[in-house]
Amino acid sequence: MASLSLEHIEKKYPNGFHAVKDFNLEIADKEFIIFVGPSGCGKSTTLRMVAGLEDITSGTLKIDGKVVNDVEPKDRDIAMVFQNYALYPHMTVYDNMAFALKLRKVPKDEIDKKVREAARILDLDKLLDRKPKALSGGQRQRVAMGRAIVRNPKVFLMDEPLSNLDAKLRVQMRIEISKIHKNLGATIIYVTHDQTEAMTLGTRIVVMKDGVVQQVDTPQNLYNKPCNLFVAGFIGSPQMNFIDAKVEAAGGDLLLKIGEYTLKVPPAKKAALENGGYVGKTVILGIRPEDLHDEEVYINNAPDAVIHSTIKVYELLGAEVFLYFDVNGTQLTARVNPRTTLRTGDKAVFALDMEKIHLFDKETELTIAN
Amino acid sequence: MAEEEVIQKALADLRQATGLDLALKSSPAGEAASVADGLRRLALAYREKYNKIHFLQSLLTGRVPSYHVQDRARRLHIDPEEARVLYLMETGSSLDELLLEVLKGLFPARSDTYLIPVSANLEAVLCPLRTKSGVSPEESCFSLARTIVDTMNTEAFTRVRVSYSRSFHSLLDLSSAFQEASLALKVGGLFFSEQTVFPYNRLGIGRLIYRLPGDLCENFLREIFGDEIPEALDAETAVTAAQFFQNNLNIAETARQLHVHRNTLIYRLEQIQHRTGLDLRNFEDAATFKIASMVINYLATERNSAHE
Repeated sequence: MASLSLEHIEKKYPNGFHAVKDFNLEIADKEFIIFVGPSGCGKSTTLRMVAGLEDITSGTLKIDGKVVNDVEPKDRDIAMVFQNYALYPHMTVYDNMAFALKLRKVPKDEIDKKVREAARILDLDKLLDRKPKALSGGQRQRVAMGRAIVRNPKVFLMDEPLSNLDAKLRVQMRIEISKIHKNLGATIIYVTHDQTEAMTLGTRIVVMKDGVVQQVDTPQNLYNKPCNLFVAGFIGSPQMNFIDAKVEAAGGDLLLKIGEYTLKVPPAKKAALENGGYVGKTVILGIRPEDLHDEEVYINNAPDAVIHSTIKVYELLGAEVFLYFDVNGTQLTARVNPRTTLRTGDKAVFALDMEKIHLFDKETELTIAN
Repeated sequence: MAEEEVIQKALADLRQATGLDLALKSSPAGEAASVADGLRRLALAYREKYNKIHFLQSLLTGRVPSYHVQDRARRLHIDPEEARVLYLMETGSSLDELLLEVLKGLFPARSDTYLIPVSANLEAVLCPLRTKSGVSPEESCFSLARTIVDTMNTEAFTRVRVSYSRSFHSLLDLSSAFQEASLALKVGGLFFSEQTVFPYNRLGIGRLIYRLPGDLCENFLREIFGDEIPEALDAETAVTAAQFFQNNLNIAETARQLHVHRNTLIYRLEQIQHRTGLDLRNFEDAATFKIASMVINYLATERNSAHE
């Protein structure tokens, strides 16, 4: 397997469209890297540059320390699995996996060994004689993976490989891909717009927007320490709540004023606000839905972090309940225990877990304190 | 080439087309060219009559009289009246054996899909229009085009671009479908170079610009830039304008994404206004500039392709 290095990679098209801007990333051997972001953010373009399917406008791409900017895709020792994969309908599973190797005149016994090994890894041993039409969606997807595995590449590149599957199958295939990564010890770059896929699969995640890398971090850090408003809003479902708050000093404390409500800033965030010169200014307060609590014990323990509202919508999802309500004209969402007694139209009190709030500069949208 | 050699080549061609193994015992001196020509005509006539792909190639280029189409299609067991779409696949390099095998793998010997060679790096795929419940014909066509691109990328490690025509119901329309798909490939490549699939019915304003004669384009640009029409926009102007348009003329967001102070961005926009009289903060001026930049790119590409 291999390490990759992307240094100041740019992609500009002849029509002026600037798809990728100053992309820098070091990918270690055996890492599972996810490129995630909304449609058009440049994640697939970056992957295609790594594959050699797009020219790199400027910057340097290295695989195992060797510059490969001008190396043909077939000579980069990579394998790809893309969204719109198609199995050869008239061939068996075995032949589908063997096809590319046969075309490259790989010796028969070597093909056989590679196909059977890939089939074992993918649990396709018993299906090798079947035709694609006799396979389930998940089995077909595994055959597509098998076609990549038999190449024994240094790097796997996957572009939304699960997008054409239904939700249930996607969950199942996520687990399969995770297993494949562990079994093969492969370096994988995986593109998705689905943040759940990103969070569950990746060892590190690259969040992109408008061709610019926003943050590169572990799933846990992205969730707990987003570097800006975009990452905070993009990672997490339901997404983080955002509300404007004015920073005021009172005695030795700092307070966040949201309309009629006053929240006391915890010491860990206080210094960052003071040092950044935010006292007297409006910032954006972010809080995840699960950090808004309706239990009495929280409310009683946090008298300096309480807001009141009326429940607009109650959504029971089985293991959890989403409550939607307005505070100072902004809609917030709380994720609470299904045993909650709150229902639509009820007056409600919520305590904010102030240790878990996020504060963002209103103009730059960068995080102030994490 | 010696006379004997010319005739032997024509005979080999005839053999390849028809399977007929003919030999010429003797020929009058100096008539080798006309004999070879006669043999080539025989091979061509045979191909046109009995070879599906050759017949379809002739249809693509409009070389089959319309009154022959139905009859010859039926004789070749091709349904002349079926809803079909024509796809054109263009590869970065010549279509080698590997690429063709992958393409054949995608469309195995099925009686209703035909792979038609067009040139060294262009292959046409004539497919019946298939619709699934819950999927519109448009989505279905786009999905097949994407599948071709993704499969060629992943299996053959080759860059390809695919365009396709509107659906048509008669083989008589194959030639115009070919023109549509060819146009989509050319216009798409010019104006949507970041994409790899170009449907004929989604070419937008590029379709209009492509049809404009060069002098009209230049007159339009002269209105904006005066007598010094730029051959290409400088990188800073192009990037600034493109980013500004991508962000729906939002100054704060554009400045943030370009990593410049908003005053720097405003200065750049004012420089553009000073040069062109167009204030990009105003929608109409922005639209005019956008079209002008597309026209400049178009003329530049045309110039470059003329030089190649």
